[in-house]
Amino acid sequence: MGMDRFRHRSEKDRDLAEEMESHLAHQVDANLARGLTEEEARRHARLRFGNPQVVRERIWRYRTLPVAEGAFRDLRTAWRSLRNAPGLTVVALLVIALGIGVNSAVFSVVNTVLLQPLPYPDTQSLVKLVLFTPQRPLGGASVPEFNLWRQQTAVLREVAGYDTGGAGMNLTGGDEPLQLQGVHVTHDYFALFGAPVIAGRTFTEQEDRPHGGNVVVLSYGLWKRRFGGDPRIVGQTIQLDNTPYTVVGVIGRNFVTDTPADLWIPYQFDLNTRDMAHYFVASARLQPGISLEQANAQLKLASDAYRRMMPNAIGPQNHFGVIPLKEWMVGDTRTPLLVLLSAVALVLLIACANVANLLLAKASGRKREFATRAALGAGRWHIIRQLLAESLLLSVTGGLLGMGLGYASVRLLLRVNVGGLPRLGEDGAAVALDWRVLLFTLTASVLTGILFGLFPAVSASRPNLLASLNESGSRTGTGLRSAGLRSVLVVTEIGLALVLVIGSTLLIRTYLKLEGVDAGFDTHNTVTMAMSISGSRFQTSAPVAQMIRQGTERLRAIPGVVNAGAGNGLPMQGAFGLPFDIVGRPKGNDPFTGGAGYYSVSPTFFDVFRIPLVRGRMFSEHDDASAPGVMIINEAMARQYWPKGDPLKDRVQKAPGAGPAFAEAPRQVIGIVGNTRDEGPNRDPDPTMYIPLAQMPDGETALNSRVAPLWWVVRTQGDPHAMVAAITAGLREATGGLPVAHVRTMDEIDRLVISQQRFNMLLLTVFGASGLLLAAAGIYGLMAFSVEQRTQELGIRMALGAQTGQLRNMVLRQGMVLTLIGVVLGLGAAFWLTRFLASFLFDVKVWDPLAFVLTPLLLGGVALAATWIPALRATRVDPMTALRFE
Amino acid sequence: MNRPPDAGEILQGTLDLLILRTLIRGPAHGYTIAHSIEQTSEKALEVEQGSLYPALHRLEDRGLVASEWGVSENNRRAKFYRLTPNGKKELAAATNRWRRMTRAIALILGESNG
Repeated sequence: MGMDRFRHRSEKDRDLAEEMESHLAHQVDANLARGLTEEEARRHARLRFGNPQVVRERIWRYRTLPVAEGAFRDLRTAWRSLRNAPGLTVVALLVIALGIGVNSAVFSVVNTVLLQPLPYPDTQSLVKLVLFTPQRPLGGASVPEFNLWRQQTAVLREVAGYDTGGAGMNLTGGDEPLQLQGVHVTHDYFALFGAPVIAGRTFTEQEDRPHGGNVVVLSYGLWKRRFGGDPRIVGQTIQLDNTPYTVVGVIGRNFVTDTPADLWIPYQFDLNTRDMAHYFVASARLQPGISLEQANAQLKLASDAYRRMMPNAIGPQNHFGVIPLKEWMVGDTRTPLLVLLSAVALVLLIACANVANLLLAKASGRKREFATRAALGAGRWHIIRQLLAESLLLSVTGGLLGMGLGYASVRLLLRVNVGGLPRLGEDGAAVALDWRVLLFTLTASVLTGILFGLFPAVSASRPNLLASLNESGSRTGTGLRSAGLRSVLVVTEIGLALVLVIGSTLLIRTYLKLEGVDAGFDTHNTVTMAMSISGSRFQTSAPVAQMIRQGTERLRAIPGVVNAGAGNGLPMQGAFGLPFDIVGRPKGNDPFTGGAGYYSVSPTFFDVFRIPLVRGRMFSEHDDASAPGVMIINEAMARQYWPKGDPLKDRVQKAPGAGPAFAEAPRQVIGIVGNTRDEGPNRDPDPTMYIPLAQMPDGETALNSRVAPLWWVVRTQGDPHAMVAAITAGLREATGGLPVAHVRTMDEIDRLVISQQRFNMLLLTVFGASGLLLAAAGIYGLMAFSVEQRTQELGIRMALGAQTGQLRNMVLRQGMVLTLIGVVLGLGAAFWLTRFLASFLFDVKVWDPLAFVLTPLLLGGVALAATWIPALRATRVDPMTALRFE
Repeated sequence: MNRPPDAGEILQGTLDLLILRTLIRGPAHGYTIAHSIEQTSEKALEVEQGSLYPALHRLEDRGLVASEWGVSENNRRAKFYRLTPNGKKELAAATNRWRRMTRAIALILGESNG
């Protein structure tokens, strides 16, 4: 038996019918034999036998899986019922697809950033090495620190250092030099991240020592793109900055790094250095069985030893430690993403309320259908089940549509703006449909279906047979209760929509404020580009300064170029930070007078950006290596460190005790310039110091050239994009063929800096607009339905002499009362909820009066417009038709 | 219908036993089985067609009876059921169970005292 009893059911049923026939015939025979007439015999046999259909059904049912059969039947009925109301079905599907789509889109971003594991083996034990300070953990590493961490073998293994940005290197030897993303790493890097080696090997420990030779590991992309996937590449020599490098290995295509790399070269640290510059980062693995706490305790002990070894290197309250790598990478994007996810859930709730309303309207028109079914013996559970089947069919279909919509929209969104979120890959390539997104969407769909299906189902199945059957038709049958429920739903929609619109208003205001922040310089008509100078030519300051002078002259000769210059960083991109001492000023217990952002620039840098001189003088061509050391500071630094005195009378020692590479004499402060917003427009300007590139200590130049590119900055008369070709050609000519990369105008950088806020604002605006639209549709639907239901009443009122204006106002009043209740509730909720947006806002209070006054007015206006159409329809009711309606 | 006033509703589960017992005399079709049970029990038991056929099909699914179409004594097409070897074993076991149970019930009702 087993599954056999479910097979060939129809065949068996026919067989059974015949068997019944036969039984009946025998009964008739027996009756005839007892002497009954033919007719009597038949009649008795039938009576005796009962209804053969019942037997067949009983056996048929015995041969079915009752639950599956029931569900299948419910679904079929649901499909038929939905097909019979195509308009409503399409609208409901669109609303659900919208609701689920935006949720699926936001969730797939959240999934990629927060939920997906890092693409490395055993990610649990991967940690980032940091310096814990009372404010926040700092991620930079210096060579002495790296050396100290390497020695903590009781808790850590595979400690690896690597560039975050990468200097860029020029692949030479071809027709045109090509600037590549080269990342410096220590030899443990590949083992730490489990990089798949597909040819050759990675660096040995010997190759990672000073003078360990010029070796390089290629990425899969570069190997395919530039070397045609040559299987004999290992052992060959390539030219980087005109220096021969031996290829020792190729890494497989699945190796994903946060800084995309074309190739890797060994750092070759001198581990004995006392150079304290922080220019790379370090990660490691916990030793098996070692917990985060144990590792942190050990590193805290090591910090004390380090402090004795390198006095003043780390503050008395600071100590080394580890943070799980993923936590470090996700950083402070967690809260904003979760807030966005909650906001988008509100959109789904509104969508649910909307569909519930549609179904309630549909259900109230079907009262008689349900009553008839109940009279024929369908249980209440049967009716609820069937309505739920309808709503689930709707929600799951809508969910599937929504997932497609969400996938498309997340692609679009991320193409427009990645918003500084980590782990998304280039143009959001890492955002993919995986089982989590599928599960989320499915769960959301099913819950949605139950949520919006349950109201109408329970309300429609309420047993009130007689009343329903006695009602003359479908038109008068709204029933108070269902109308009340629908009003509650509409009020909820309006309230939720208001919360969303207030939220998006706050973010729009924030964005406008941020855009309005004065960057401190003229961003228009300036273009910037990065030039890698990692070759042996630029290991000292003089040739760098010489090259910049020549390049500047060449660029200024181009018609349309106003001025040109260079620096080791760009405004608004975040500067290097260095400690400093003011000569002759007591420091008390602190190791330094203070810390400040730090740029080395060519003399024309300030003029290109039109950074204003407040006092003193600018750098000139005469401030070179042979002249006394000079420094320019910004107003923020002057105000913070010379609240009363005159900075121009003081000398400043930058990076005191930072090691031989930075050793230099104190510099005279010669000028004060205006502030630029280097840490973003939403932060107060940091103290910043500038020194001439020509006066950099050689050791510092050598390090800089290796780990960071030189930035060219050019001011043009018109649109800088039109000049890019001439500028890059001019630079290549003047520098002996060096290419440039990362060409961007300062306006583009300006926009990029606030891209996170833009991303948040765009998303919440889309949510707010969707919410508003759905709520408007909701109130329109309710009022239109109510006018239609009350056609008779309106007709009677008209016949009794009511003015059309009165009727219109009656409907409007009803709609606006609902709106008002929703607005009041929404305002209350928003007052409480906007606090979670606080971290998104800049210069806008969470209870921004403008948002809290304008938004309800906007919503009221939309609701009024949505009510107007049904109100107008009410005035067009023809009393005669209305009264003859039935 | 002229139903005997004390006509027993056949106890759930005992119908199977009665059917198997009837078939020990040889293959029979549904009408004969019902008729035979009623006659043998002196009309004390009445077999509902609504129960008979589901029971027959259940027994067939369990492999205790087998069926095939044939021609009846009235020269009509009818489906004949016969006992399978498994059915014979089940009949023996079920008869045993039934005897034990009736004896137990009789003991409780105090007939052994009388």
